[in-house]
Amino acid sequence: MVYSTTFKDHLAHPRNVGELSDATVVAEETNPICGDRLRLSLAIDGERIKAAKYLAYGCPPTLVSGSVLTELLVGKTISEALVITRSELIELVGGLPSRKHHAASLALETLGAALRQASEV
Amino acid sequence: MDKRVADELIRGLTDLFGNASSVHVYGQKARAAVDRARREVGQLTGARQNEIVFVSGGTEANNLAIRGVCEASIPHGRHIVTSAIEHPSVAGVCDSLEKRGWEVSRVPVSEKGIVRIADVREAIRPDTVLITVMLANNEIGTIQPISEISKLVRKRREAGHQNLRLHTDAVQAAGRIDLNVDHLGCDLLSISGHKIYAPKGVGALYVRRGVRLAPQNIGGHQERERRGGTENVPAIMAFGEAAKISREELVVRTEHVRRLRDQFESEVQKRIEDVVLNGDRDARLPHLTNFSFRYIEGEGLLINLDLQGVAVSTGSACSSGTLEPSPVIRALGRDDELARGSIRFSFGKDNTDDDVDYVVEILADAVARLRELSPLNKQFVTSQTP
Repeated sequence: MVYSTTFKDHLAHPRNVGELSDATVVAEETNPICGDRLRLSLAIDGERIKAAKYLAYGCPPTLVSGSVLTELLVGKTISEALVITRSELIELVGGLPSRKHHAASLALETLGAALRQASEV
Repeated sequence: MDKRVADELIRGLTDLFGNASSVHVYGQKARAAVDRARREVGQLTGARQNEIVFVSGGTEANNLAIRGVCEASIPHGRHIVTSAIEHPSVAGVCDSLEKRGWEVSRVPVSEKGIVRIADVREAIRPDTVLITVMLANNEIGTIQPISEISKLVRKRREAGHQNLRLHTDAVQAAGRIDLNVDHLGCDLLSISGHKIYAPKGVGALYVRRGVRLAPQNIGGHQERERRGGTENVPAIMAFGEAAKISREELVVRTEHVRRLRDQFESEVQKRIEDVVLNGDRDARLPHLTNFSFRYIEGEGLLINLDLQGVAVSTGSACSSGTLEPSPVIRALGRDDELARGSIRFSFGKDNTDDDVDYVVEILADAVARLRELSPLNKQFVTSQTP
């Protein structure tokens, strides 16, 4: 499969790279099989996500999923973020071959870990 | 493809449309063209014309060599010696034969990616029928000591081990270094057209006179009963022309790509930190280099370069959540991170100094961007989630 224009744009110009200095929560998850890693920091004000940044190591779909996810999260409430699905994320990156769907799963697992922390704050 | 090679391909498609196995005049003209190509490929390898078998490429040549020798040698034994860094078209055939009852010894390589003669010597058994070791590695370019291995084989034969054969996969080495089969001392040698600027889908297997080979394509008398199937006359003609040019221009091409490669390596090591050269600086092909970039993964770098018009390759793949780091880089003893971050850069006859400058520029940029994104090269003060 040929990657989409959206995908290539995010790969060449990843958004929201780094770590928030004023993060409310920081979560990092690793795919234990392939070693792909994603680190997500969120600044949450009340119920709403005000800012999101990420770092990633791994194959291009992992790098791009993180970038697209951070763009998607800003402005959402925690409840809205909790219902983001894997197929929604895959659609937003412009599609992924099935063998690369695990990249979107890693992004959502990291988001889930961050939101669990947020609920404990 | 070289223009002269493309012209020959078109001549085969338009003027010489006969079936080379037919007795009519159109067929005989095609036959003469195939024979001319066979002489050229023979000259590239120092082989006699009737020792060249045309096939569809390197993979088929390797399949025919390994299966062909092993199946023809069943009464003498079922043991193969190979290396840990073979191309999948050799490693895969050995794996397949192993499942069918053959035994396979895979000798390791040094940290520079070269097979040790002592390991090959130790691996040979009385029932060994084939040693298959590549002439040069496709990912890191290291040149394997084939002529030294052939001396071992000759000694074994003199001691009565008559059915021991030596095959070498020379696909990556063709057109880059001397391929003379007598200097190498091999019994079989695989080459592929597209590596010497011929079309894809054509290749050849050199089979030394007297070596018994069980054909794998049965049902036709072509290629002296060793490879049934109507010959792809235009591709074979183009392959012959490419072999001729490759032989005539070997020194000029080699010096050109070596200079570009060395310039590239020097610039990369000056401009980018935390890079590891994979392979041996001396015993290697002139046109190729392989670097591992710490903290980043090869595929991301590959696509970043591709987006800017530069085609490179990586031996690692992440598929369905399963990591398949390059077996070649792992065989050098590198950790998973380095194996995942390895990229092969190869230079061709048409590359220029400006190309090298451009690649270094965008490579340094892409590596910096991917490292900025990587959590592996950062120290965090915040704690990780369990």
